[in-house]
Amino acid sequence: MSGLPLSRREFLKGGQASRPDLDRLNPNWPTKRAAKRIRTYLEKKPPIYHPPKVDEIPPILPVTHSTQSLRNIDWNMGAAKHLLCRTMFGPKYPEIKAASENPVQIAVSSLFNTIDMPEPPGEWVNEPAPQWDALTEDEIDALIEQYNEWMWDLGYWWMKNMMRNSVNIWEMITLFWHNFFATAQSKVFFPQAMYQQNNVFRQYGLGNFKELLRQVTFGPAMMIWLDIHASKHEEPNENFARELLELFTMGVDNYTQDDIVEASRAFTGYVTNGVDTNYNFEEGTGFGWWWNEWHDFGPKTFLGQTGNFNGDDIIDIIMEQDATAVHICTRLYKWFVYENVDETVVNEMADVLRNNDYNISNALYFLFNSEHFYDENFRGADIQNPVTLMQGLIRKCGMEDFDFSLQYFIHSQEFLGMLPLEPPDVSGWPGYRSWINSITLPVRKLQASSVISGDSPWGQFDIGADVRELAQSMYDPDEEGYASEQIVKKLGFLFFGNPLSENLEGRMLSVLLDGAEPYDWSINAPENDPQWNRMRDLMIYIMRVPEFQLA
Amino acid sequence: MKRRDFIKSAFALSAFGTQIPVMALGRKNRAGRRVQWETDRIVILIKLNGGNDGLNTVIPIQDNIYYNNRPTLAIPQNQALTIDDENAFHPSLSAFQALYQSGNMSLIHGIGYPQGNLSHFRSSDIWVTGSDANEYLQTGWIGRLLEQEYPDFPSNAPDHPLAIQFNSANLLEFKTSESNTGMMVFDPETMYYIINGQYVAGQNDPAPDTYGGEELDFVREVDLLSFEYAEVINETAGHGSNSVEYPNSNLGYQLALTAQMISGGLETPIYRIYQHGYDTHADQENYHAQLLMDLNNSILAFMEDLANQGLMDKVMIVTTSEFGRRYFENGSFGTDHGTSAPCMVFGNNVVPEMFGEQPSLTNLDQFENLHIQYDFRQLYSSIITDWFGLDQSIATTVFNQGFETIPFVQTPLSVKNPPLPAKFKMHSAYPNPFNPTTTLSYTLPSNESVTIRLLNLRGRVLKTHRLGVQKAGKHLFKLDGRSLSSGTYIAQMEAAGSILHQKITLLK
Repeated sequence: MSGLPLSRREFLKGGQASRPDLDRLNPNWPTKRAAKRIRTYLEKKPPIYHPPKVDEIPPILPVTHSTQSLRNIDWNMGAAKHLLCRTMFGPKYPEIKAASENPVQIAVSSLFNTIDMPEPPGEWVNEPAPQWDALTEDEIDALIEQYNEWMWDLGYWWMKNMMRNSVNIWEMITLFWHNFFATAQSKVFFPQAMYQQNNVFRQYGLGNFKELLRQVTFGPAMMIWLDIHASKHEEPNENFARELLELFTMGVDNYTQDDIVEASRAFTGYVTNGVDTNYNFEEGTGFGWWWNEWHDFGPKTFLGQTGNFNGDDIIDIIMEQDATAVHICTRLYKWFVYENVDETVVNEMADVLRNNDYNISNALYFLFNSEHFYDENFRGADIQNPVTLMQGLIRKCGMEDFDFSLQYFIHSQEFLGMLPLEPPDVSGWPGYRSWINSITLPVRKLQASSVISGDSPWGQFDIGADVRELAQSMYDPDEEGYASEQIVKKLGFLFFGNPLSENLEGRMLSVLLDGAEPYDWSINAPENDPQWNRMRDLMIYIMRVPEFQLA
Repeated sequence: MKRRDFIKSAFALSAFGTQIPVMALGRKNRAGRRVQWETDRIVILIKLNGGNDGLNTVIPIQDNIYYNNRPTLAIPQNQALTIDDENAFHPSLSAFQALYQSGNMSLIHGIGYPQGNLSHFRSSDIWVTGSDANEYLQTGWIGRLLEQEYPDFPSNAPDHPLAIQFNSANLLEFKTSESNTGMMVFDPETMYYIINGQYVAGQNDPAPDTYGGEELDFVREVDLLSFEYAEVINETAGHGSNSVEYPNSNLGYQLALTAQMISGGLETPIYRIYQHGYDTHADQENYHAQLLMDLNNSILAFMEDLANQGLMDKVMIVTTSEFGRRYFENGSFGTDHGTSAPCMVFGNNVVPEMFGEQPSLTNLDQFENLHIQYDFRQLYSSIITDWFGLDQSIATTVFNQGFETIPFVQTPLSVKNPPLPAKFKMHSAYPNPFNPTTTLSYTLPSNESVTIRLLNLRGRVLKTHRLGVQKAGKHLFKLDGRSLSSGTYIAQMEAAGSILHQKITLLK
């Protein structure tokens, strides 16, 4: 039997079957020669792990369809935890308490407060695209290494932003749109382009959807990712048009293959060098030589309308379709509420979206103020995605300002199946129950407990959460009962989505006390008191029970 | 006594013990339930993920349309590996050619389903759920198959996993209405170490009656079963061995590990293995050749390994893919999503023949895609009834309709030989409508002389096939419509003193 630490290779050797990251590369871009070097570079690296897909939905349970505003009487600690757990990474106990003490409308609206854009991860975000033909092969290889390094700087930067988020929805909605417009760095190649797209999510993610869609579509990342920039008059590439309709706007069954072909003709002639594009956002058109040569200026018939459409015209027509708002709200619902979609509620959300000029925050504001959102059914029904689980855990444990190694996050998120910047394909991470299987579940436990034990499958590190501070941040001397009992209850509250059962509470208490009496455990015990080791044991125990996986 | 009850009682006393501390889990001890049906046969399903290009796998060497529409991708006749006058394998598939010649492989052309969907996601779901194109099922065909034998799974689970899927599998295929019958596997030793180390035992309160409770039950179930099965998989893989070198690829790894587990005595009857990368939209030539080479070498190694260990007789390997690809190449030296494609079956107990034929490239559907010749559920039904010897009614329950089997299993197990009909019986032709061939099937009550005629609607005989005396039982006859024009015809069969008719329609 092998012992710790397990190497990544050991983990992955049976793990990943495919190289879709290689299969989808464009062999002619940015130049044939550079493409070859990029491919060789990627081939040498182990493939990215993606968890398998799963499509299961439990039976429908009786849930309130009421979208009336929540009556004040339902607003309590549990509801506040539910709201914060779904809209941010790792809310802390005092934050939940503070939210619960405001009226629900205030708690919700403060989530939407505008916040400052984070400082960029480095100067490199403004680096222009290289002149490939002027570079030697060695220079190309060096550049590829450099870009790869910057790309993971970006990934680390993003994960740091997540775990350092304030009580606010902006970080969560950024991740939501990354999953929605799922774009993978291994094909895009330019870290500048991925950063630019990430910024678009931060800037437009809670505003008008059409503007967001335009910004994403005509950004260099999407142009590369779905081959818009390889689509020309004589040979339109259907890739983007198909996903635009199937995944980004209307959803399947609302258009025909002919519509895809016609739309793909409209999305011709838009090109990028990886950093800049030939698209003018103000005028809504392409320009320059490639545009004149590659764009199909002829008439197209799309969803029953005929005209000399370009990409913007197609987006305009799509936004006139009722199905679009329904599709967007379905995706929002699945992310923020539950996999089992309540059509009544989603249709009402879609109405709100349409009536408010497709302003995303209006639809979400409506949802978070509804009785439906706070239905007991949804408490603990979210199988946490690996990023929310890990970045949230670190924040809950007060470790968000620690210096973690880049490897720690990149490897753990990769193995748990959600490496930001590398979704498995354009439909995003399948999510929900696919996060949990007989491989990922034990590793989720192992990885989570590393914040306490310092042992992770990716090696050991010498920092751990300050459990004493955590306990003291939750403790209220005015509450009844011994500190040990109070801490057990509150840890159960903070780390589990479902209500803490009596049985589990008892087991947790016995781990914490380890044979001692409840009054033996003191909230003010000095730092070196062995009782804090018992609390570390309890934290690891918490991370190993199935309840921990749910929020 | 019902079959299921029979299995329960027959194995109830055979204490097939593993070292799982079941009592410590607060769970009733199981009386050593075994996994197998009446047979110890095993099927290995390999998914060629992404949509394998059928026309470049089994090449239509006589078809000029193929050559004209694939200026850079067509495999020249002199490079392809001959199967017969019209078919040849891709040059990477030298072992397949040998296996076909030695009688260890059968080839089924044109597998798909009516109204093929060109989305990977949707088409994969149709294949794994076993649904119609317009039907959305939440359970998988394997899940529904196993559910009939183990309706209370996982609460009364057998000692070995019912089905094993390698990482990157689609769990939906194994989903039952209540749970999931598949066990995910990667490196068994690491898996055992991690799972064992992270498991917390203890009495659980019932989960709340909410969605949150549903999800908690789900996580608990994965938690417990992975803990239990990790041990048995680790044990069997530890006892088993490989006798040959496998290709250093992920497919090779999966097959090597599968062979090791089978060799170590794991009783799991169904394995699902994945080979990715078949979505060859661009620069297909080299990638596809490499993929097929890997497939060729890995399957050959696996078969040699099991044959060396005397285990090959009980194993059959079947390839599937969510769809085939278009017959013409695109502007990026690749091919786009299509409909049907051939499936390949390997084993010692297969009929070394070709079922169906090269698809017509002139007679296409409205989206310029190939017509299908066999429904993929016919393939799966054949595995259920002929390979595992389960009753036809089980397959009918799985797919909610009966499908004619494809007779590629050399020694079909018939646990219950279907009683011979009192009278000569004719079954529905498939496909119907057809182009250019369809298969007529019929069952004889005793040894009889059979004549099949093709008539036009006015009753004029167009063709007569005197088949001579045939044995009692089921027979197939392939009817060729190539010399006929489109229209409705009557297939007439004469045997045992009676004449039966059936309308068939040729659509060219």
